[in-house]
Amino acid sequence: MLSSLFILTETGDILIEKHWRGLINRSICDYFWDQVLASKKENGSVVPPVISTPKYYLINIQRPNIYLLGVLQTEVPPLLVIDFLQRIYETFLEYFSTTAINENIIRDNFVHIYQLLDEMADNGFPFTTELNFLKEMIRPPGVINNVIQGVTGSSNITDLLPNGSLGAIQWRKTGIRYASNEIFFDITEDIDCIIDNNGGIVSCEVNGEILSNSKLSGMPDLTLTFNNPRMLDDVSFHPCVRYSKWENERVLSFIPPDGNFKLLNYRIKGINQFPIYIKPQISFGDGGGRVNVIVGQKPMNPSKLIENVIITIPFPKSVNNTNLQVNVGTYSIDEATKVCRWNVGKIPKEKTPMLSGFVNLTPGQPLPESNPPITAQFKIVMFTISGLAVDSLACNEKYKPYKGVRSMTRAGKFQVRV
Amino acid sequence: MSDSKYFQTTKKGEIHELKEELLSQREDKKKEAVKKVIAAMTVGKDVSMLFTHVLNCMQTHNLELKKLVYLYVMNYAKNHPDRAILAVNTFQKDASDPNPLIRALAVRTMGCIRVDNITEHLCEPLRFCLKDQDPYVRKTAAVCVAKLYDVNPELVESQGFLAILNDMLGDSNPMVVANAVAALTEIDEVSKHEIFRINQNNLNKLLAALQATTEWGQIFILNALCKYNPESSQEAESVCERVTPRLQHANSAVVLSSIKVLMKYMNSIHNNDVVRALCKKMAPPLVTLLSKEPEIQFLGLRNINLIVQKRPEVLQYEMKVFFCKYNDPIYVKMEKLEIMIMLANEKNIEEVLLEFKEYATEVDVEFVRKAVRAIGRCAIKIDRASEKCIQVLLDLITTKVNYVVQEAIIVIKDIFRKYPNKYEGVIATLCANLESLDEPEAKASMIWIIGEYAERIDNAHELLNSFLEGFKDENSQVQLQLLTSIVKLFLKRPKDAQQMVQTVLNLSTQESDNPDLRDRGFVYWRLLATNFEAAKAIVLSEKPLITDSTSHLEDSLLNELINNISTLASVYHKPPETFVTKLKGLKRGGLRGVRDEDEDEEPEYVDDDNNNISNTMSPQNSQQGYGQQQQQQPQGPQKTGSLIDLDLSDLNFGSPVNNNQMTGGYGQPQQQQQQSPNDLSFLGGGGGRGGPSTPPKVNKVLVYGKEPNHQNIVISGAFTRFNGRISLELNLLNTSQISMQKFKIQFYQNYFGITPADPILSCGSLEPNQQTDISIPINTTGASSPQMNPVIDMCIMVLPSQERFYFKITFPFNCLLTENGPLDKESYLSMWKSIPELNERSRDIPVRVQFNPDSILKSLASKNIFEIVRKRVGNQEEISFLSCKTENSIYILLELTFNYQTNICRCVSKTTSPDIMALFEHTLEFLINNPY
Repeated sequence: MLSSLFILTETGDILIEKHWRGLINRSICDYFWDQVLASKKENGSVVPPVISTPKYYLINIQRPNIYLLGVLQTEVPPLLVIDFLQRIYETFLEYFSTTAINENIIRDNFVHIYQLLDEMADNGFPFTTELNFLKEMIRPPGVINNVIQGVTGSSNITDLLPNGSLGAIQWRKTGIRYASNEIFFDITEDIDCIIDNNGGIVSCEVNGEILSNSKLSGMPDLTLTFNNPRMLDDVSFHPCVRYSKWENERVLSFIPPDGNFKLLNYRIKGINQFPIYIKPQISFGDGGGRVNVIVGQKPMNPSKLIENVIITIPFPKSVNNTNLQVNVGTYSIDEATKVCRWNVGKIPKEKTPMLSGFVNLTPGQPLPESNPPITAQFKIVMFTISGLAVDSLACNEKYKPYKGVRSMTRAGKFQVRV
Repeated sequence: MSDSKYFQTTKKGEIHELKEELLSQREDKKKEAVKKVIAAMTVGKDVSMLFTHVLNCMQTHNLELKKLVYLYVMNYAKNHPDRAILAVNTFQKDASDPNPLIRALAVRTMGCIRVDNITEHLCEPLRFCLKDQDPYVRKTAAVCVAKLYDVNPELVESQGFLAILNDMLGDSNPMVVANAVAALTEIDEVSKHEIFRINQNNLNKLLAALQATTEWGQIFILNALCKYNPESSQEAESVCERVTPRLQHANSAVVLSSIKVLMKYMNSIHNNDVVRALCKKMAPPLVTLLSKEPEIQFLGLRNINLIVQKRPEVLQYEMKVFFCKYNDPIYVKMEKLEIMIMLANEKNIEEVLLEFKEYATEVDVEFVRKAVRAIGRCAIKIDRASEKCIQVLLDLITTKVNYVVQEAIIVIKDIFRKYPNKYEGVIATLCANLESLDEPEAKASMIWIIGEYAERIDNAHELLNSFLEGFKDENSQVQLQLLTSIVKLFLKRPKDAQQMVQTVLNLSTQESDNPDLRDRGFVYWRLLATNFEAAKAIVLSEKPLITDSTSHLEDSLLNELINNISTLASVYHKPPETFVTKLKGLKRGGLRGVRDEDEDEEPEYVDDDNNNISNTMSPQNSQQGYGQQQQQQPQGPQKTGSLIDLDLSDLNFGSPVNNNQMTGGYGQPQQQQQQSPNDLSFLGGGGGRGGPSTPPKVNKVLVYGKEPNHQNIVISGAFTRFNGRISLELNLLNTSQISMQKFKIQFYQNYFGITPADPILSCGSLEPNQQTDISIPINTTGASSPQMNPVIDMCIMVLPSQERFYFKITFPFNCLLTENGPLDKESYLSMWKSIPELNERSRDIPVRVQFNPDSILKSLASKNIFEIVRKRVGNQEEISFLSCKTENSIYILLELTFNYQTNICRCVSKTTSPDIMALFEHTLEFLINNPY
C-alpha cells in the first residue's frame, strides 16, 4: 500500500513527509522534481500522474501551490492513491477553512496535518476520509476552538471514539441536536462542450452535482424526489444514498451526514440548446488578422440574467500587437502568452456585446492557420440547463425541517472553435 | 495560535532548551516542546538525541501529548532500536488501557516501530487487541499484523496471527472485515504460501461487508473478490448483482475496482442478455471518470483502453466523450486519441476525421503528429474510410506546416502498403514537398514511395538522384531505403538507373561503416550480378498487406491485464509479473543485503561478477553468425546468401525498426575485440612475473547502506595487501535516484598514518542502480598520530559531489606487515633479549579450526608473519618462533606454543612498541582461525 506521502511546494521544497511504513529517503523527491522540470522543459506540460522509478512508483497530484506525492513500493491501485491524495487535499481545505492550501497554512498547522494523516490511513491503507468522523477525532483549528483550548486547556483531540462511527452509518454520529432543523441543497450544473465555428455542437455534456448542508436533529431518514428523475441516467452517490431505492423508484432515500456533503453527481447528455451564443470570426491575411467576437443571450424561459461572462481568446504566438475595441466590459491582453481576456460581466438586454478590431503579426512569421479555440466562463443563477428541480422532501422525524434549494448553471470547459 | 512559531527557534542552545522543556512538570510545556521537536523533525533537522527525553513524556494521560510522542517515536525508533525498547513498557500498558482510543493508538504505533527486538514484546498485546471488544481496536490490530509481517514474517506465522486474521473475515463489523482483507491481501502478496483464499464460505461474508464499509474498505474487498473464480454462471451473476450498485459510488477507485470485478466475472456468465445488461451499466460510470480531475481521467483512459479492446460494445456509442478539449493536459489528449482510433468505425468516421483534422492544427507538435498518424491508422483500419482519410491528409499537406507534411507522408506510405495501386494519384502532391523533408523517417518513407512506384513517376530517377547526392550525410535509415529504392528503380527501368545503382552500391559497400548497409549492398550486388530475373522476383515481390495493430495487445496479455484493471499493470499495459518481481525482488534484495552482514558467507558481489562474465560470454556466441558473414565477403559474389533472408529484409522496408536491431548486433563484435587482448595478456603474462599474478579474492563486507531503502548508497569493502602494496577494495552501489559523480575519499586521522594515495576516486559517475568496484591504493607514509589510541576500525568518508557517507572498515593489522619480515635465528635471539621483559605479553588463543600447526603457520606466512624455527616439546606441544615487521619498521617477535591436548595456541610476544600489541593479537587470533 501507500508507503509515504510528501507534500511539496510549487518550487519543490518538502513541507511534510509522512511515512506509514519504513522511512523512505527524501532524495526520492529530487527524482520527482527532476521529472517535473523535465516535463516542463520538454513540452511545457505537467508531469504525468504516475511515474516509475527504479525502486518505487510515484503518484502525484498537482493542486494550486502544492504537489502531493505518494510513494509506493508494492502494487497498489493508482486510482486509489490519487483519490486518496485528493481526499487528503480536500480534508485540508475543509479543516483549515480555505480555498487553496499554501506553504504557510501547512506550516501553521503541521501538528494537525500529522494527526490527520495518522488517522486517515494506517500502514498506508486508507482508513477513513469521512470528515465528520475526523472532526470528531481531531478538532479543526479555528478561532472558536482555539479560544476554547486557550481557556479550558483542553486539547484538540477527543478522548473518546465518536459514537457509531464504525457502524453501518459511518457518516453520522448519534445524538445530534439542533434548535431549528434545516437542510439546504445546491444544484450546480457545469456545461462542458465544444462548439464549432458555425455554432454547431461538436460534443456536449452537463456535469451536475448536488451539495447539501444538513442541520437536522436525530437520525432523519429523508426521501427526496425530482421533477424529472429519468433524465439522470448516470449518477454517482454519496455512500448514504440507498441505491436500490433509486433503481426501483427513482427517489433519493438517505440518512444525511451532518454538515456539508456532496449528495450526488450526475451527467446528462443530449443537451442541444444553450442560453448563450458566442460567434467568433478571426481571419488572418496580409500580415494581420481581423477579429470579431459577439456574445449574446438566447431567449430563455423563464428569462434569467447571464452573469460573470468572461471570454478568453488565446491569439497565436506570432501576434505582435493588437488594436481592439469592446462595447461592453473591459479586456486585457497578457503580452507574454498573447491571451486576451474579455471580461463582459452581465450580458445587457439592450445591446449585444462585441469585441472587434485588428491584430498585427510579427513581420516574417508565417500566417497562422487558425486561431486556437476560445473559452468562455459564465453563470446563471436559479437556473438548471437540464431543467432538473427538486420536487419534494419528506422526513421521518417528528419535526418538519426547513428546506432550501438553490440552483446554478455554469460554463465548465466551454470551448468555441474558431 | 499557529504552529509556525515552532519553526522559529534556530538559536544555538535550542537542543538544550528543548531538553529543559521536555523535563518540565507542566504538561502544556511538554506539549509545546514535543511540538517543537516535531517541527524540527519536519524540516529535516536531527533531533534524535532527544529520544530519551521525549520518550519520558509518554507516561501521560493527556491524549494529545501521547499522540505527539508516539508520532516522534515512530519516526526515530528505527535509528535507536536499543532505546526504543524503553518504550515497550508504556506500549504494553497502553494496549490494555480502558480507553479504546489509547489501546488502538498503542497498537498502531507499536506496529510502526520496525525494530526487530521490539516485535516479540508486541505479540501478546496484539493478540488481545485482535479480540478486543471495540471494532476500532480490532481493525487497528488487523492492520498491525500486516505491519508485523513485514518486519518478521516467521514470528507472525508461528504466533498463529494469520489464522486469526482469516477468522476476522467473519467479524460483525464491516470495517474490521475490510481491514483484515487489506492485511491478508498484502501478506499474501509477499508470502511464499497462499494464506488468503476466497472460498464460497467467506465470499458471502465479504459481499455482506461490501455494502456497509467505507469506500476504502470497499476497494480492498472488491480487489479481493477478483481472486475468486466463480464456480457457476449463477454464482457469477449473483456476485455481479451485489457489485453493480458500487458503480454508482462517488469514489472513482471504487468504480474502477467494481468494473474490474464485473469484467472478470462476466467471463463466467453464460447468459448473453445478462452480459449485455452489465456492459450497458458499465458505460456511464466509465465516462464519468472523464469528467473528473485530469489525473483520474488519465488512469481511467488507460483502463478504458483495455476494456474497449476486450469488449468494444461497452463504449461503442460514446465516441464524443473522448473528443479532446483544447485545455486537456497532453497526457490525457494522447490517451483520448488512442481510444478514438479504437472506437472509430464506418458510421462515425466522418465526425472523427473532422476532429483529427482540428487537432492537427493545434500547437503541441507531439499531439499534432499523433493526430496525423491517427488519420493514417483509421485509413488502414476502415477500408471504406481510406479515401476520406487520404483527402484529409492531402488537405493537411497543403498547409505546408513542416512537421504535419512529414508526418502525413509517413502515414501515406502505410496507406500505400494497405491499399496498393489505389491512390497513386496523390504521389504528385507528395513529390511537390520533397524539399521540406528533413526528418529521416519522412525521407525514408518518401524514398520508399518513389522506389515502389518508380514505373509511374517519370522523374523518379531524378528525384532519387537528388537524394543520392547527400548520401553520406544521411541517417542510416534513409541510406538503407535509398539503396533499396534505387535497386527497385534499376530493376524496373534499367536504363535510367544504371549509373545510379553502381554509385549507390559502391557507396554502400565501400564507403560506409554501417554493416547493415554494407551487407544489404553486397546482397543486392550479388543478386543483380547473378541473375537479373531472380533479383526482380525477389526485390519486387508482392508484400503482405499491413493491418493496424499498433494499439492492440496480444490476447493472452490483454486477458491478464483485464484481470488487473485498476492496478499499475493496467497503467503501463505490461504483465503484472514485471511489477511483482520488481517489487518482490526489491524486497528480497533488501533482506539479502542485511543478512549478508550476519552470515557473511558468499558476498553477493561474487555472484554479480559471474553474471557479468556470462553476460559478456553470450554475445560472443550469438555473434558467431555475424562473423561467418564477414568471412564470406571476400569470397565474392559466387556464393549468395539464403534467399529467405533477402526476402525478409525487403519486406521490412516499410517499418525500418529492424535497423536498430541489426545495428545493435554490431555493437557486440567491438566488445569482443576489446576483450581478446585481455585474454592474451592473461595467457602470456602469467609466466613472466613468477608468483601469483592475480590478487587473492577479497571478501568485502557491507559497511554502509544496511537499510537499502533508506540510504542512497551501499558500500562494501575491505583492506587487502597484495604484492607489497596495500589497497582498499570498495564496491559502491548507487541506490538513490540520481547519478553520483566525482567521488572523493577521505580517511580520518589514524594511528598508523594510513591515507589514500589519491583522494579522488577513479570511477566516473555512478548511475542509479549501477555498481562499481574500485581499488584504492593506500599510503602508509601519512602523518601517524602516536598520541592516538590504535584502533582497528578505520573511519572513512566517501564523498560524491554533494553528499557524504561515513562508515568504518576494520583494518586488518596484517596489511601493515611487510614482506621483509623474516629474521635469522641469531638476530631473533638477540632482539628478543634486547627488548625489556616489561614488553612481553602472553595470550591464549583457542583454535577453532582444524588443529594443524603446519597449515596455520603456512597461512600466517602468506600474511607476512614468518616462521623462523619450530621445535617439538614432548607429545603435547609444538613451539614455533616467528617474526614480522610493520611498515614503520617495528619488529614483532612471537613464540607460539601449540598444545594438542587443549587445542590452544599460546602466544608470547615481544615488541618495541607494545601499544600496538592488543591490535596485533586480535588480528593474529583472527588469522589463526581463518586460514587463507
